[in-house]
Amino acid sequence: MNPGTTLKAARRVSVFDLSQPGLGGSGITDPDFDGEHIPDELSEFATRKNTGLPELSEVDVVRHFTRLSQDTFGVDLGPYPLGSCTMKYNPKRNDAMADLPGFARVHPAQPKDSMPGLWTLFHNLQEHLAEITGMDAFTLQPAAGAHGELTGLLTIRRHFESKKQNRSVILIPDSAHGTNPASAAMSGYICKIIPTTKEGTLDVEAMRSMLDGDVAALMMTNPSTLGLFDPNIEEIAKTLHDNGSLLYYDGANLNALMGLVRPGDMGFDVIHINTHKTLSTPHGGGGPGAGPCGVKAFLEPYLPIPVVTRNDHGEIEAQFDRPLSIGRVKSYFGHVSILIKAYCYILSNGAEGLRMVSENAVLNANYMQSSLSDLLPPVFQQRCMHECLLSGGDLDVDPFDFVKRLIDFGVHPPTLVGAGCVHFSDEYDAAMLIEPTETESLAVLDDMIAQFRKVAREVAVARYMIETAPHTTDVAKIITDEPAFLSMLEADKPCDSKSS
Amino acid sequence: MASLPGYNVLREQDRSHMLEKIGVDSIDQLIDFIPANLRLQQPLDLPVAMSEWQLKSHLTELASQNESADSHVCFLGGGVYDHHIPAVVDTIASRGEFLTAYTPYQPEISQGLLRVLSDFQLVVGRLFDVPVVNCSVYDGATALAESAWMAISASGENRLIVSDTIWPEHLEVLHLYMANRDVEIEMISHDESAGTCDLASLESALQQPAAAVIAQSPNCFGILEDVKTLVQKAHQKDCLAVIGCYPTSLGIIEAPGTHGADIVYAEGQSLGLPLAAGGPYMGMIGTREALIDFLPGRLVGETKDIKGEPALALIKQEREQHVRRHKATSHICSNQALMALRTLVYLSLMGESGLRRVATLSAQKAHYLCAELEKVAGISKSYQGAFFNEFCIDVPVNASKLIEKLRQQGFHAGIECSSHDNSQDRLLIAVTETKSLDTLNHFIQVFTQSLKKLS
Ligand SMILES: Cc1ncc(COP(=O)(O)O)c(C=O)c1O
Repeated sequence: MNPGTTLKAARRVSVFDLSQPGLGGSGITDPDFDGEHIPDELSEFATRKNTGLPELSEVDVVRHFTRLSQDTFGVDLGPYPLGSCTMKYNPKRNDAMADLPGFARVHPAQPKDSMPGLWTLFHNLQEHLAEITGMDAFTLQPAAGAHGELTGLLTIRRHFESKKQNRSVILIPDSAHGTNPASAAMSGYICKIIPTTKEGTLDVEAMRSMLDGDVAALMMTNPSTLGLFDPNIEEIAKTLHDNGSLLYYDGANLNALMGLVRPGDMGFDVIHINTHKTLSTPHGGGGPGAGPCGVKAFLEPYLPIPVVTRNDHGEIEAQFDRPLSIGRVKSYFGHVSILIKAYCYILSNGAEGLRMVSENAVLNANYMQSSLSDLLPPVFQQRCMHECLLSGGDLDVDPFDFVKRLIDFGVHPPTLVGAGCVHFSDEYDAAMLIEPTETESLAVLDDMIAQFRKVAREVAVARYMIETAPHTTDVAKIITDEPAFLSMLEADKPCDSKSS
Repeated sequence: MASLPGYNVLREQDRSHMLEKIGVDSIDQLIDFIPANLRLQQPLDLPVAMSEWQLKSHLTELASQNESADSHVCFLGGGVYDHHIPAVVDTIASRGEFLTAYTPYQPEISQGLLRVLSDFQLVVGRLFDVPVVNCSVYDGATALAESAWMAISASGENRLIVSDTIWPEHLEVLHLYMANRDVEIEMISHDESAGTCDLASLESALQQPAAAVIAQSPNCFGILEDVKTLVQKAHQKDCLAVIGCYPTSLGIIEAPGTHGADIVYAEGQSLGLPLAAGGPYMGMIGTREALIDFLPGRLVGETKDIKGEPALALIKQEREQHVRRHKATSHICSNQALMALRTLVYLSLMGESGLRRVATLSAQKAHYLCAELEKVAGISKSYQGAFFNEFCIDVPVNASKLIEKLRQQGFHAGIECSSHDNSQDRLLIAVTETKSLDTLNHFIQVFTQSLKKLS
């Protein structure tokens, strides 16, 4: 393959296609060591003849990956109203701060007293998160939302163990994200599913009927993944607490609440925050994020080690000797550089800025909902929080095709069943979850709305343009029931699958 | 006009216009379905919003309080290594298109990212010598735990035979992940002299059925295990072999896949990821085709677009939490995709010959340092087994005092090994290609002097 591939062709070639033996690893030299002779003692193990890694020149690497980046859509390129994912603008200054060598070049096994600046940052961030959410203590360890769930659930488990109660059930609403039941299963819990009412709220009566001494907790996100605030939350909390059960908050939708309402005040006992949603840390093409986990005071002793806190002398330190702790959920201290970005975001906004973030997130979603209601009626006839669930049932075209056409007009499709990260019950099959986020201006919203309308007008006049969209991408529409294969090199046989 | 706080983009006139369109008078009315008693009555108690320059000075001040691999020569390892990261890795990984994309659920506008992830799978597959690799899990420790669960699910057995020479932190995570899942973990001991897995202990553990034998090479003493024998012994008893590795070492060390390991896992930090005080790093898992249905996390594969042209997409999602929910292979959703990109760029720059040289230089320098330190009176190598670039030495003085003394002179000399096997006077020292001969010699000199002063 000619390394001078064009932009369009970049996606079609692998780094193996671009390999020219002899071009790799330039400049990996040392004046005093030859880099070739294997130390005698090692020779019995260092028998590897070749790795089969491709050999590219530096300029070829830069061009190839730059071209690939240009075949990838991110928030930096345009609006990304992917419901439940909070694809807001990720401030560049935060990235720059995380890259400071005094953070980025710290080895985690350094003496614990060699990184006081980091502990101060951790401590401040924990306090700010506690203030924003109304919780008492935070661990910054978890790597992502799902990992925060696991941490929180294990904490709940330890709480009941210490009370000598054997509770084995976690209640989960049917609209919950898939990570909720998966994390519950990993923590050794059985999941029971609570239905959603016609109004889109948790069915409190159904929940009541499921309560017994076996229920450890209810996992819930409020607003829900249907974009609705559950006004019965206090009753739900009280009913659970009366049953001796706890309430877990999936913080994926916290972007709607900052400075307005706090999960801790609603009665939640445990919470995780997705910093890569609410606190603007970049999604990175699927990660890394961070999932700090907050608890009410009575659960604090069970948080994973290390715990960053003030010692008796008032110094902030990382504590490892915590007899009641659940243990360790991951190596070292969490996703430090991500946490730094989240910290910077909070500091740049301040209290007023964060409140306005949430107000505007809600305002933008409602503006979209109102502006599109004739075309895409809201599934629930009421105002939404930071995302709106609109029905594509009246479109006279498959919503899956409809949203693909938006791509041609510069808009990332909203979340659909199977096309985003959330779970919908089958009844909402034709629904789209639109989360514009607060960082889209009115002009951008109006433009997005115009694009939705343009596509809708096409249904009657140029239906095939929708059904075969997108047209502006190098690749054409990819449909899910096409057979798919795991890419493999030469000798390795492909295996069958579906690209669901 | 007052400046908008934070990153907000709606002017007052925009907000009024939008409220009107929605048909409400105010934000309060917009969210009046939230019970009034739950609404916060006062502003959050947070520091006053900072300008970019204030933020920079605050963060710079915090960063300046930390020692680092820039202020001190870093001989720390323990699974995390100060290898060189070419500037190209940062340049590519900070491209906004990659940085600000989500998981490629919309393949038509994610072909670039999907190509990255697919190539990552292929390149790591080569490195591990296995056909199937996923798109990453959180870190090396959770990669171990997820691999163990794969073995449990695939085999139907609930017992794991685990070497005690795996990184202690990784073992802690493994124990926590298995704690409530009806899994029995039997630890096997190591040979105190060689510093490797004790085969007698392994054989006795293998008398009873188990899902897998799990070991790590190089191990927590830096010593290379006899992976071939471990795999053979596991297979003789119908157990899966799960092997943890140090990816950089695979530039010269035989790959676990070549020895027949069924699942290969690793901490990917050494392949172009910053030290970053512990993360984000990246867990890597590779396996045989037969175990693909038990893999956690994303997988990218080839499909066709409606014109019949080749295209890439996420595949085998029926394993994942958003489809299988409580029966999923794992809960993982957000993963370490950007770290996978860094790793792919790193390995593309290194290539066959570059990775080989990085590995060889690291080994040469480590062996040089070890040999020179052994000449110093009172110092001896702790284990006789072969090491790659990290080794344990016994010192005749209190190890933490020695570390402190060397720290005052600009070295992070090593990790105290007490947590490994309760010896007070042991240091684990790692050397990478970035340490020059002058630096090594200077270190030896300062090390010798510090020992004298302490003894
Ligand atoms: C409602 C909800 N819960 C949990 C998660 C899982 O978070 P993460 O991807 O950070 O593990 C998500 C993210 O997609 C989500 O939308």
